Amino acid sequence: MAKLRFLVALAAAKLSIVALKITHHNGTNFPGVLALRICPDFIKYIGKPGKVIAVSGTNGKTTTCNMILDALTMDGKQVVNNRMGSNINSGIATSLIQNATLTGKCKLDMGVFEVDERSVLRIFPYLKPDYMLITNLSRDSIMRNGHPEYIQGILTKYIPKETKLVLNADDLICSGVSPENERVYFGIEKMPGDTEKCNNLIQDYQICPKCKHKLAYEYVRYSHIGRAYCPHCGFTAPKYDYAGYNVNLDDMTITIKENCHNGEEASYKLLNDSVYNIYNVVSAVALFRQLGYSREKIQEFFSKMNIVGTRYDIKEVKDKKIHMMLAKDKNAFAGSRVFEYIAQTPGTKEIIIMNSCQDDAVHWSENICWLYDCDFEFLNNDSIENIVVCGPRVKDYRYRLLLAGIPDSKISYTDKEIDAPDQLKYLDNDNIFVLYGTDSITLGYKVAERIERSIK
Amino acid sequence: MRIEVLFPEICNLYGELFNIELIKKSCPDAEITETNLNDEPLCASETPDLIYMGTMSEKSQEMVIEKLSPYKDRISQLIASDAHFLITGNALEIFGEKIEDKDGTIVAGLGMFPFTTKRDMMNRFNSLYLGEFEGNDDLMKIVGFKSQFTHSYWKENAETLAPLFETLRGPGLNPDIKGEGIRVNNFMATYVIGPLLVLNPPFAEYLMSECSGKAEEITFRDAAYDAYDARVSEYSDEHTGFYY
Repeated sequence: MAKLRFLVALAAAKLSIVALKITHHNGTNFPGVLALRICPDFIKYIGKPGKVIAVSGTNGKTTTCNMILDALTMDGKQVVNNRMGSNINSGIATSLIQNATLTGKCKLDMGVFEVDERSVLRIFPYLKPDYMLITNLSRDSIMRNGHPEYIQGILTKYIPKETKLVLNADDLICSGVSPENERVYFGIEKMPGDTEKCNNLIQDYQICPKCKHKLAYEYVRYSHIGRAYCPHCGFTAPKYDYAGYNVNLDDMTITIKENCHNGEEASYKLLNDSVYNIYNVVSAVALFRQLGYSREKIQEFFSKMNIVGTRYDIKEVKDKKIHMMLAKDKNAFAGSRVFEYIAQTPGTKEIIIMNSCQDDAVHWSENICWLYDCDFEFLNNDSIENIVVCGPRVKDYRYRLLLAGIPDSKISYTDKEIDAPDQLKYLDNDNIFVLYGTDSITLGYKVAERIERSIK
Repeated sequence: MRIEVLFPEICNLYGELFNIELIKKSCPDAEITETNLNDEPLCASETPDLIYMGTMSEKSQEMVIEKLSPYKDRISQLIASDAHFLITGNALEIFGEKIEDKDGTIVAGLGMFPFTTKRDMMNRFNSLYLGEFEGNDDLMKIVGFKSQFTHSYWKENAETLAPLFETLRGPGLNPDIKGEGIRVNNFMATYVIGPLLVLNPPFAEYLMSECSGKAEEITFRDAAYDAYDARVSEYSDEHTGFYY
């Protein structure tokens, strides 16, 4: 009976793919939604690829998953993936349906799936990854994810025991996932700019898991990311199997030493100079090495890769640069990294902050607690001449910026995002940053087009 | 004004430490004492002008209950003598009789007030909040957010304590009642999370003035009230959805 229901669901989903193609509605999760509605345990029955890699984590999972997919594609692999769909069960079901025969057998040997942290309970009972890479675990949407310890608990409960983990040793929340599973750790050794004391509002791992005394850090990069130890009982963060060091932002390279392979090392191209994207590269290298790729082959992958434009893009127009940056809405941790990056970027700067959640503005009102977890204080910087806040939460942004010590004279505001370019000063050699959220990418690009027209 | 912040290393979710940051910025002479888990609480031997504790993880709740258990009588004494407490989010649950998880786990609370918390980690309850707080002579609107795995229920036949806020929209301590939070003398506890004082300048000014004994004003007052008035208006609009 269950098998019959699965076959009906598969047939209906396959037909829906045809219908969606005819009506030019590609890239939706509808086939998976339909299949799961007819057969709730659809993923249990559909054929899976021989080798499955899952990528999860609070930040960087899309970028890292894309890197892995790009590399495997370069290597000639045909990979089942959910790049064009969502990272919840319906998105994964859709990708499996798209690559299944009419009887439900998987046509491809390998699968790479970005997996939403909270969705593992609906996916992993049926899809068991051989490898799972977790980029980091930090605060995210308060409404969905609560707090990172909760997400760590969900992952630990649902990750299959046979899955080998690739974990961030610089993140004690991440490295503590599923302690019984086989694992390797990646991390980045002390970098210029690291401190011994956290200066961020979010500090989610302050006490020793063994003795509850306050942890200290050999170096802290931001929030709880760094190398922690307990001065009281001697607890230390896990040792790196893959240790990034010698980050060279002039050459855009990093060396990765493999402590799990007699300290052998190689240098790899960085795709972006932000710390979190450097972590993404180190994590992907660790995974590729676990998959058996040679260092030379991985170097070749990275030499040909780029980060997709919707995450970070830059355009030079006359003497000005327009930086397009995704600053995930309702995600203080990601927002702080973006603000820190902007503060460290040389030159004169103006910023349009337009990452209020558009969807929330329609259905209720955004929960803005995250503004007070997010380090707006980074924007209190002499090189930032003007900050334009806009959208439904404009008054909340203004008050937050004032509390961060930013003078009112440097804050401009307008209700509609599309009018934000009118508030810019277009200074000589200006760096204009447009920060948009996950549901305002298109709007962000429209704003950028208006900026470009104003400069021309 | 002397403020004790209890366990900021673990009770710090959802931007709640900015409640204290706001007081620091508004009252530069405020003296803040941060008490860590391995410290003796200041309030064990002294009476700070305000004792604050914010939202924490579920594991942290157990650590805090264990830590505060020896001080239960002292806390009762402080409440009886009108000491000011501000307790936000699930820190409220510490003071109840027990926390019952849907998975069968039961965590004994400090047992200071007759209520039980019921927890369901697979369901998060999200809403906006609009209520009223009775200050010295006036009612003031309270706006904010709720995001929690729990609800709390008064024990049957027990004396129900006064709520901190009377709810106009959104749930109270649980969805069946309008009373939100607990107010016993100057002990104030609420499920409303996040930067409560930042979002509610009238309440912040009331609390700061009560604690310092003199009239206090919130920093960047105009901008704060501008955002507050807009939010009160938005939340009072029946067309604004209230549940996530």
